Amino acid sequence: MTRSKSMRWLVTLLAILMLALALAACGAPAAQETVGEEAPAATEASAAEAATEEAPAEEASTEEAPAEEAAAPEGDVIKIGALAPLSAPGAVVGGEAMVDAMRIAEDELNANGGILGRPVEVVIADSEGLPERGTAAMEKLINQDNVVAIGGGYHSSVGVAAKEVAHDNGIPVVFAETWNDTITSSMLPEIFRIAPLNSEVSAVDVRFLTSLPYPIEKVVILTENTDYGIPAAESTTSGLAEAGIDATTFTVDIGTQDYAGIIERVRAENPDFIMVLATGEASYNFEQQAAEAGIGPQDVPMLCNQVSLESQAFWTNVPDGNDCFVRRVGLPVDLYNDVATSFAERYSERTGKQAPESYALEAYDSIMIIAQAIEEAGTTDPAAIIDALENITYVGALGEITFPVNSSNPPDVAGKDPKWWHQFPNPAITIVQYQEEGQDSNDSPVVFPEEYKTGDIVWVGRTE
Amino acid sequence: MDNAAILGWTLLWLVVWGAIGGIVTPRIYARKDLDISDAPLGGAIIGAAFGPFGLIPLWIVTPGFSMRWLVAAGMVILGIIAFAFSKAYPTNLCVTDGSYVTSQLANGLVIGIIYSLMALGLTLIFSILGVVSFAHGEFYMIGGYVVYVMSTSVFAQDMSPLVWLLGAAVVTFVLGAIFEVFFLRVMGTGKIERPVEYAILVTFGLSFFLQYLAQAIMGASPVKATRFWDFPVMALPSAENPWFLKTTKGSLTLFEVIRIPNARFTSAILAVILLLALMWFLYRTWQGRGLRAVSQDRQAASVAGINPNNMNTLAFAMGAMLAGLSGASLVQVFSWLPQVGVPAAARSFVIIVLGGMGSLPGAFLGGLIVGVVETMGTGCVPDPSRAAAYMPAYGMIILTLTLLLKPTGLFGREL
Amino acid sequence: MSGRINYVSWGLAALGIILLLLAPLRIADSPYIMHLAITAFFYAILASSWSLLAGYGGQFSFGHMAFMAIGAYTAALYGTYVRISTVATELCREIPFFGRWLVILNPIGVTQDGQTCLDLAKPTMPPGTVIVQPSIWWGVLFGIIMGGLFGILIGALVLRLRSTYLALFTIAFSEILRAVISAELNITRGQSGLELPPLFPNGVTFFGYTFSSTSKIPPYYVMLLFFLFTMAFMAWLIAGRFGLFIRSIREDEEAAAALGVHVVRYKVLLFTITAMIAASAGAIQAHYIGIITPNILLILQMSLVISMAVIGGLESIVAAAIGAIIIEFALELLRVSFDIGPFTVDMTTWRLVFFGLLLMLTLRFFRNGLIHPIILYFTRRGVADETVAKRNVKSEM
Repeated sequence: MTRSKSMRWLVTLLAILMLALALAACGAPAAQETVGEEAPAATEASAAEAATEEAPAEEASTEEAPAEEAAAPEGDVIKIGALAPLSAPGAVVGGEAMVDAMRIAEDELNANGGILGRPVEVVIADSEGLPERGTAAMEKLINQDNVVAIGGGYHSSVGVAAKEVAHDNGIPVVFAETWNDTITSSMLPEIFRIAPLNSEVSAVDVRFLTSLPYPIEKVVILTENTDYGIPAAESTTSGLAEAGIDATTFTVDIGTQDYAGIIERVRAENPDFIMVLATGEASYNFEQQAAEAGIGPQDVPMLCNQVSLESQAFWTNVPDGNDCFVRRVGLPVDLYNDVATSFAERYSERTGKQAPESYALEAYDSIMIIAQAIEEAGTTDPAAIIDALENITYVGALGEITFPVNSSNPPDVAGKDPKWWHQFPNPAITIVQYQEEGQDSNDSPVVFPEEYKTGDIVWVGRTE
Repeated sequence: MDNAAILGWTLLWLVVWGAIGGIVTPRIYARKDLDISDAPLGGAIIGAAFGPFGLIPLWIVTPGFSMRWLVAAGMVILGIIAFAFSKAYPTNLCVTDGSYVTSQLANGLVIGIIYSLMALGLTLIFSILGVVSFAHGEFYMIGGYVVYVMSTSVFAQDMSPLVWLLGAAVVTFVLGAIFEVFFLRVMGTGKIERPVEYAILVTFGLSFFLQYLAQAIMGASPVKATRFWDFPVMALPSAENPWFLKTTKGSLTLFEVIRIPNARFTSAILAVILLLALMWFLYRTWQGRGLRAVSQDRQAASVAGINPNNMNTLAFAMGAMLAGLSGASLVQVFSWLPQVGVPAAARSFVIIVLGGMGSLPGAFLGGLIVGVVETMGTGCVPDPSRAAAYMPAYGMIILTLTLLLKPTGLFGREL
Repeated sequence: MSGRINYVSWGLAALGIILLLLAPLRIADSPYIMHLAITAFFYAILASSWSLLAGYGGQFSFGHMAFMAIGAYTAALYGTYVRISTVATELCREIPFFGRWLVILNPIGVTQDGQTCLDLAKPTMPPGTVIVQPSIWWGVLFGIIMGGLFGILIGALVLRLRSTYLALFTIAFSEILRAVISAELNITRGQSGLELPPLFPNGVTFFGYTFSSTSKIPPYYVMLLFFLFTMAFMAWLIAGRFGLFIRSIREDEEAAAALGVHVVRYKVLLFTITAMIAASAGAIQAHYIGIITPNILLILQMSLVISMAVIGGLESIVAAAIGAIIIEFALELLRVSFDIGPFTVDMTTWRLVFFGLLLMLTLRFFRNGLIHPIILYFTRRGVADETVAKRNVKSEM
């Protein structure tokens, strides 16, 4: 072994670096923009957008797949795609519930003669809760399965990444349970959403807190370090700050099990109200461990996470969770319309659960609204479906859905924030409270807002 | 100067001098033909504690490292950090509130005892087979699921929780034994070229297999067993002034400061009982003595009539069982999922490396230290949005430091 | 090992390469298959470089994905925070750069309506100002360098550690990195992920054909050529002195040192080279996918790479690469559900159960993996190679 030999390796490595450098130097700039005279405040064109502007991908690809469809004989299956997390690290529970709901939609459509007289197939793709897998799944749905439109969708990070794939291919997507504002605020023509906006949900939470007749000065927020948890905590904090309420946010990693250390800190903050924005088992772990440590829902008023709506899992995991407030998306059960009632029946029959979760309702509607749009468009051409979706008035399990801010009424004309683009403007958001141990969330009284109220609050916190 | 910066600069000072001590000291010792096995650790600790004022005398005199001096220097480091922390964050609860610190410490110790039970299983396996089981977390997960299934099944739900625990023990023991016989026994035959790497990979495969099997069978919805029993409600010395002890069904309060939830208390007590039982087994029964004999000298043990193959199986199965029992007692504390084993196994790795691979007292002490570090880290790191988010990293930092400074851990044998 | 040129193996290799190069003619109209192929090449690079590290070098590192992530995140951070402007912004951190200004944007975290200093500066900038996002290839390059630096660091730190200790140390490294990336969301955007521009943001023209930025064909060839390049590079390394030395270190470190192998230098070099390969694969793949999240650092992902290498054949980079390609396709295409009588078996979950079982059984009964023996069968038929003889002797012992 000599030094010169090892020098050879170093030289080789250097040579490779130089090669890469040369390559880099030749490479064109990734994106370029000029601050123009008319629009000095032009938003910086991201590379992806700039690229799609150049390539007329929308028109090109909208012709391909459906052209075959149109030429196909009657009776050809119409495929509607669906994204759902079915493997870890995704939220498998949510994903499976959504799949059940979408299968019900599929059965119902086929039982009623299909769409345009043709049978319907809902093709499910597993997003695994990972953006990179989500884009792959989207790719598969569009290019392998030749779906004409896509519903479902659970994780915000997946939605944010997958919407670009849909946009590149010009395939309409109706997102069911992705709350992140950017999904609609990027104003892609193909992207619709029937889930609430994250910022709107936070606004409901803040309104709920400020409407209470009890003194609330200090709120503790427990959130997860995800793209759902962080923006939700931030917009809630800023909303609370406007109302003069001080909030401290504790962020946890979603895999955390032992909350003893955090719970002591929360106790030391001496909160008047605790909000749990961490989802899944993290929320269950925190709620139950807080209860055992004496600052649970029966000691300090607590907004438990929306996953707590699944009553059976909630009571198994948080046996001491009585008096929890839970935010709920969708109409209260006693205001269910016919669609929701009949869906709920079939859902219980299929899954054995007592009532559908809000994401099941949304998933069902996301498929059904696409079906109606295809029916109204009279064709499976994606551009026509998008057109139909923009003008649709659909009555589903969530109530009447429209997309008032659309290409004929863009946000700057409507005077709305871009986040309202293709967004279902008024999903019902209510706060219910578990008031008896083992109670079903659908039997629990709605305590907020006034128009849906069915019961009075049981207040465990300080009243002075 | 910004207050918070005090801590940053102090830490930087400690790290720089620690690194200098850790890197330079072994070289100086080696040049003088002295024993360098403790030199990186000793150099790093003394460097961090006293900076150049400790290192230069050390390099001139080059004394042997005694445990006593190292512990003292370690205390100095902790003292420096604590002092800097209190100067940087004078309003932090860990500085101002003694009862807060006490309750956090108690939390850490309780959870530490529970952690150490699982780590004991891993260290037992290592001491006999010389391998680390990467499927340890999955036995933990299975133990918990067995208790959950039994506690909700029709025929076992009215039985005593002890029966559930027994069920978990039997299932994990049998699974461990089967796996050892089919997949690990071949290591002893000489047919495997690199047995330790083989064991790492094959237990890794087992962990993959069991995790997804659990998900396919049990689903991904979190579950949890109800607590095994309720505390008798009492107050000592009197109901009006329960300064010593106060219990409700679900939790217990000592000195009005330390609150221990029932489920955790039960798990910790179970862990202590199992620990004592394990000690009894290892020191008082023939099988246990056989295990210890094999761990000390394989060949001599087999000459003395102990079949090392059987001892391997026994050790692996018992290790799996300890993990299973640990899971079985924790399923009433945490929500249970097929993935719960992953962080738990990672923590066990930290514990046994810190304690010294193969050392039983090391695993116990390591468990307590890791428990305390995790809770104190969560409790004291000032930024609330980081304190808990970094929780998985605290243990891993201990692991890295141990491996860098003293790979044999607190009580380990030589590598 | 040396000297004997085996025409069969060269022929097969050439055939394989030609097939891969021509494959887009058949599969280009199915972007999904193209996507799988690109991802498969990505995993093949990782699995084969891991097999160089673990199979040849005996360093069972679980930190390979961490190096990959370092490459990807370096490229992503560079792409997110570095701009070149013709006029100073006066708001951002900036340094003069060949007559222009290199602007470092301030992190805005995951807030939904945050504005960077550049957004704030734009209205005040004179008309005609050009703001450029510099070439992504610089980011890839920085990713590779960063991967190499971390490779040197980790390689130097683990010098004293063997087998189990090494595995645990590298797991810890990977977990700490994951925790940092998840927790420092102001900069890394945590679980929301950092978005990256595509490999060819303005499309690319090649031999008169123009491909848009979303076309799968340019990334296919980039990944394929990079894959072939790394394979050739690694094969060259293995065939030479380097391969001999790292194998001697694997077999017996003391003996190797006694025979004059500079153990420290070669171990660190091995870590550095494999880390750089992983980092470059990560950076390219991140640009291709367009988003990167800390979940790529989950142990699960690492176990996937390890399983690919093991099932393919740990002691052959070619076998590991083929194993990776086959497994990536198999795992993706097995996402089906079928009915057995009244039961619906959803393979989405079960495929991974069988995969774990396959991994265990392969380790137990096919120590050289499943692909490697096949390769040997074709390439060494009738050749009484001395290593084969050696291996037989060994197993008879």
